Amino acid sequence: MHPLSLSLVCRFISPSLSGEKKLIHCNMELNTIKDAFDRVVKKQKLSSSKSQDMIERVSQEIEQAISRMQSVSGTTSQPDHKEVLAEVKTKLKEISPLSQLDNPQKELSVALNKYPKILEKFFNPDISKAYRNVDSDVHTVNQILASHFYREGLFDIGDCFTEEAQEPEYADKKSPFLEMYRILKAMRSGDLEPALEWAAINREKLNQNGSNIELQLRRLQFIDILQKKGRDEALKYCRKYMTPCAHVCMPDIQKLMACLLWAGRVECSPYYDLFLPHHAEKLAEELAQQYCKLLGESYESPLSTTIAAGVQGLPTLLKLMNVMTGRKQEWQSMKHLPVPVDLAKELQFHSIFVCPVSRDQASEENPPMLLSCGHVLCKQSITKLSKNNSTRPFKCPYCPTEVEVGQCRQLHF
Amino acid sequence: MEIDALPNGNSPAATSTPSPATTPAGSTPVSKAGQLSESLKLEHQFLRVPFEHYKKTIRANHRVVEKEMSSVISGVSQAADGDLSQDDAVSHLNSLVSRLQGLKRKLEEGNLAEHLQAQRCKARIDHLESVDLENVAEWNNTRVKRILVDYMLRMSYYETAIKLAQSSNIQDLVDIDVFQEAKKVIDALRNKEVAPALAWCADNKSKLKRSKSKFEFQLRLQEFIELVRDGNSMRAITYTRKYLAPWGATHLKELQRVFATLAFRSNTECLQYKALFEPKQWDFLMDQFKQEFCRIYGMTLEPLLNIYMQAGLSALKTPFCYEDDCPKEDPLSQESFRKLASPLPFSKQHHSKLVCYITKEIMDTENPPLVLPNGYVYSTKALEEMASKNNGNITCPRSGLVCDYSEVVKAFIS
Repeated sequence: MHPLSLSLVCRFISPSLSGEKKLIHCNMELNTIKDAFDRVVKKQKLSSSKSQDMIERVSQEIEQAISRMQSVSGTTSQPDHKEVLAEVKTKLKEISPLSQLDNPQKELSVALNKYPKILEKFFNPDISKAYRNVDSDVHTVNQILASHFYREGLFDIGDCFTEEAQEPEYADKKSPFLEMYRILKAMRSGDLEPALEWAAINREKLNQNGSNIELQLRRLQFIDILQKKGRDEALKYCRKYMTPCAHVCMPDIQKLMACLLWAGRVECSPYYDLFLPHHAEKLAEELAQQYCKLLGESYESPLSTTIAAGVQGLPTLLKLMNVMTGRKQEWQSMKHLPVPVDLAKELQFHSIFVCPVSRDQASEENPPMLLSCGHVLCKQSITKLSKNNSTRPFKCPYCPTEVEVGQCRQLHF
Repeated sequence: MEIDALPNGNSPAATSTPSPATTPAGSTPVSKAGQLSESLKLEHQFLRVPFEHYKKTIRANHRVVEKEMSSVISGVSQAADGDLSQDDAVSHLNSLVSRLQGLKRKLEEGNLAEHLQAQRCKARIDHLESVDLENVAEWNNTRVKRILVDYMLRMSYYETAIKLAQSSNIQDLVDIDVFQEAKKVIDALRNKEVAPALAWCADNKSKLKRSKSKFEFQLRLQEFIELVRDGNSMRAITYTRKYLAPWGATHLKELQRVFATLAFRSNTECLQYKALFEPKQWDFLMDQFKQEFCRIYGMTLEPLLNIYMQAGLSALKTPFCYEDDCPKEDPLSQESFRKLASPLPFSKQHHSKLVCYITKEIMDTENPPLVLPNGYVYSTKALEEMASKNNGNITCPRSGLVCDYSEVVKAFIS
């Protein structure tokens, strides 16, 4: 590793527990939890086997008493049944089975009480602390859930759900995805026809979106035919379907024609990676992405995205609640979260500009402005720095350049 | 106020050396692992519920052992103290032995049940341990399913819950059997029967007492109201003596109020007392039960789905989400999500987070933002690629302006 990049990597590790260390730390705590639980199981087994023992012993004593009573009573030295009963009663008192169960039970109780305390130490015992009591319309939630099931291809479950929840059938949410999964299923079992049909119907829109998926499908089919049916069929295929659009895919046609030379010995060809099986799966993914785009839907289920954001944001909000005890009213009615919630970059959908001087978020009334030195401030900060005098130049807070208000340009992220 | 040191904007020759203090930690593996371990800490309910169930089974099984054992021993004492013939003594002792045999079998069955529940507890700890940076996408997917099953169970959509759990083989990771215990009580309450609910209260007596619950009292009150509704005044009064009086010490006012319904008929117009006769009271009881139930098992009162969604919607909510050109990948571009998010607070940022309109990637010091002559901004990667494919020309996808790559200016954002 280049020495410079190594030192940069080291700088990324913050003084507090780094992420990697945190995961290891986590595993150690989970081991503690596992041990505590194993202890419970062990004590339970001990208590249980003690119970078994005692049942056995008491049973034996009684059975012995029975046989003694039933033994041939001829001589007077044989005890009569009353004495046997008295003996057994005394014997049982001696053994005192119930109190013998006390100790194992006590140890079990200790273990049973310790475990939840350990859980509460590691886990946050109440994640509903940051929950706001607002009305959330059940039907809206149900609609979101039904859409989620259909998008994920879980059609049976989606139907079962809409029935149990007594919601109307969301046919319009269901049918586009039924179609998509039909195409994908065919693709995954080697039949590219439904996909090609779809691509042909939507050719114009796909082109507008800059997607060449129809070409990729043809390519995949060509390779498939080459492998399964041989050179002649592959050549026929190419002449029929790809030559007509040679003006857009000449380099591809050239490559594919070259592949013909290596038919049967693909591994030796410089194009062998075109024959690898993962292309089919990748193409299926891309088709799903383009399909969703044409529908005007996102590729990821919005429910999954929201839950992911919740998982990332909730720890911060729960920590916040620790300092907001007794201020429930304030929490319920605030318009902005008081602390920033860091989301992973996949969950950043909008550009947010925060002025480094005023810490305000840019908005339509207060847009970000580019200074002639290349630094960016919000409009209100510029107004303040230039002391409301739009003709006087002012100093950029970051570099010693003097900039003029008139030269500042509004930015559109 | 601290101003981070930014590279000097006036020296175009300066290559962008990443300054450690300002590079956002974004998506480096270091912070992803940190996020993972933080998210595990949210899973208290996941481990607590099966444990409480396990504990309950252990205690219940042990009570059976104690009871039977003590019965048998006192059975022997009685025989010894009594006056039985030999034959009677033998048959009595035989019956005691077969009781013990029965107890042995019950103990074995109980052990099996306990073992399965212990396995479930362990499987969950293992599941938490199993997550790492490689399988995180699948693990997160499983979490979404777990959250959905929890929702279905709380809403009593049992079919859906079972189907969903089976489809991804997560039966051990969800609490269907615990909720099915609740189902019996809820169904009965829906049919205006309190018996299973009362049995449940008896089963969980000590825990309910510890939390000072008055649920049993409320059940008794409802039974009383039903007696009054049926015109069974005499029975209602005897019922009060037997079941309601013990609660008089702690809940006198409420008792008095409900007891006064005797003076009214069930079709009374007096608002205060009319409310007590409403069938809605049964819905109230069902809700109360659900709350008590969740409390005892260490579950959140709200479905996990609501908790995570509220946090997520708030974290995602920006004023830009409500604009027409909000990207489709943002859940808040959809009407249903906007509706849920409307009473929630907006998110807040302390540092700029810029996303390239074209590539959707973050614009930071490694992929700095470039400004076109008309003020529109795109990432270096996007414009470099566009220029390389178009003879150095750049077309702004939003305004249509065409310019040369040399005309763009770098912007420095902290």
